[in-house]
Amino acid sequence: MSSPSADSVAQPDLANKVESAKHGGASRRVLAIARNAFREAVRDRVLYNLVLFVLLLIAGAIFLGELSAGQEAKIIVDLGLSAMLLFGVFIAIFVGVGLVYKEIERRTLYAILSKPIGRGEFLLGKYLGLCLTLLVNVAIMGVGLSLALIYVKRGWDPLVVRIWPAIFLIYVELTIITGVALLFSSFSSPALSALLTFFVFFIGHFSADLKALSGTTGSVSARWLFRSLYYLLPNLSNYSLITAAGHGFVPDMRSVLVAAAYAIVYIMVLLAGATLIFGRRNFK
Amino acid sequence: MKKNIILILTIVFGLAAVVLLARWMDDNRNDVQNQLVEEPLYLNGATAKHLSFAFNGLAADWYWMRSLQYVGRKIVSYEDKHEGRFDLSDLSSFDLRLLPSLLRVTTTLDPQFMAPYEYGAVILPELNQDEAIALLNYGIAANPSSWKLYQHLGYIYWQRHDYQKASEVYAAGAKLPGAPEWMTAISARMKAEGGSRDAAREMYQHLYEASNDGAVKEMVTKQIMRLDSLDERDAIRRVLADYRAQSGRCASLWRDVAVALHAARLRFEVTDTLPLDPSGTPYRLTKDGCDVDLNDNSKVPRR
Repeated sequence: MSSPSADSVAQPDLANKVESAKHGGASRRVLAIARNAFREAVRDRVLYNLVLFVLLLIAGAIFLGELSAGQEAKIIVDLGLSAMLLFGVFIAIFVGVGLVYKEIERRTLYAILSKPIGRGEFLLGKYLGLCLTLLVNVAIMGVGLSLALIYVKRGWDPLVVRIWPAIFLIYVELTIITGVALLFSSFSSPALSALLTFFVFFIGHFSADLKALSGTTGSVSARWLFRSLYYLLPNLSNYSLITAAGHGFVPDMRSVLVAAAYAIVYIMVLLAGATLIFGRRNFK
Repeated sequence: MKKNIILILTIVFGLAAVVLLARWMDDNRNDVQNQLVEEPLYLNGATAKHLSFAFNGLAADWYWMRSLQYVGRKIVSYEDKHEGRFDLSDLSSFDLRLLPSLLRVTTTLDPQFMAPYEYGAVILPELNQDEAIALLNYGIAANPSSWKLYQHLGYIYWQRHDYQKASEVYAAGAKLPGAPEWMTAISARMKAEGGSRDAAREMYQHLYEASNDGAVKEMVTKQIMRLDSLDERDAIRRVLADYRAQSGRCASLWRDVAVALHAARLRFEVTDTLPLDPSGTPYRLTKDGCDVDLNDNSKVPRR
């Protein structure tokens, strides 16, 4: 969706940055790509979804008082956090699956990889760039949601602070989804990658059912299949605190840290897999 | 240029045609849609919870607002047919067959959502007390530390005149951390004098204080008005009986007993002749002046 003029500015810009970073460490090269991926997302008007989000919150804040019989704060939190997750998932998937594909399609990848930069560094940079985009997106949405809460409660309310652990976990979930999208896009077309990532997102929220099925099914092979899927696919239900946040529930620090650690390890596995596949791809 | 004008005209006339067609369809719609409003829900709570995965809170909000709209539409339709007069006792004549399912789905999707339990405790007993008790028991199982749910469950048992059970429920709620002291007191009162007006008044006052729902507060206010009116009518009947004993006939006008009614501390309207009920409407003499009743246009509920 980027304009040709924006792209023509973006790609030489990235090549120059990579060039200037070639004598620096790997981290500088990765950061140069990440910064560029973020700028590209902004130029692609990805953050325009914030306008829709704000309109949704304003409409919710104005009309829910009439419709919800005094439950507007809970509903505005449910609405805001759900929209945050949904918009974030759409960005993570649709931008994520195009991260590598667009570079191949425009043939700018050849210019980048001709520099002293590893394919793994390229993927990591792209991944971090999209994560930065999502971070900005989620942070602005979080602030907007807090302001909407202050508006509907006509002043300060503890929920304004209590929703932030849930917002953090939504962001962590989005970083996992981005990793999954990147993995699929390293070996398949954008359409198929998007479809597969959506499947992972859906199944990831049914993890509890997979575990229950593995416990109740009679067949040993089915039991192993469900159990393997349960452990192999990301357990995204650990990051679903939207409903609880609407009631002011704050998770304990330990469970948040364990969920974050799980995400970091899982993302490392995804990026390692993506690098492995991408490293073997022949672009001739 | 000419092409642009044609496109703009197409948009303008197209939108105008869409509006006209939409209005025609609204005017000629048959009542199929109204019948569908009463269709049973396709999803039970558990299935809805599965399908909504990360968005079960939002789905619960949707069902909650649908419940409110469902009852609200019936009330508006009733008020249109009855010159704007509605009180809670009229609910039993409504066909609210979907309400229990809607509240069940709402609370299954989000078991910690308290408003539907409170609403169910007030509205459902008018339709089906067993459904109301089942809803509250489900809520207590999902939120065992919420004393307010015990208060609502006790209220339902009190409504069905099961004072012993109401007392037990209040006593169980009183043991929970954070439960107010009056829960213990009202438990004892249920046991000793569950059917008394004072017990009812106390229960409604606590229900009013504990509720954040405007509709519940309004209902409770009306019920307290009803209790006050019952006390006032008892006082008036005593005055009327005394008058009959002294004069050998019933009072033909309020003026005949005005002095005694003033002494009984009843409220009067500006001319000081007509005693007023708690909603500000004059009472009326019945049975040729031997008895008293609410006026037809009184806002005090009869039940």
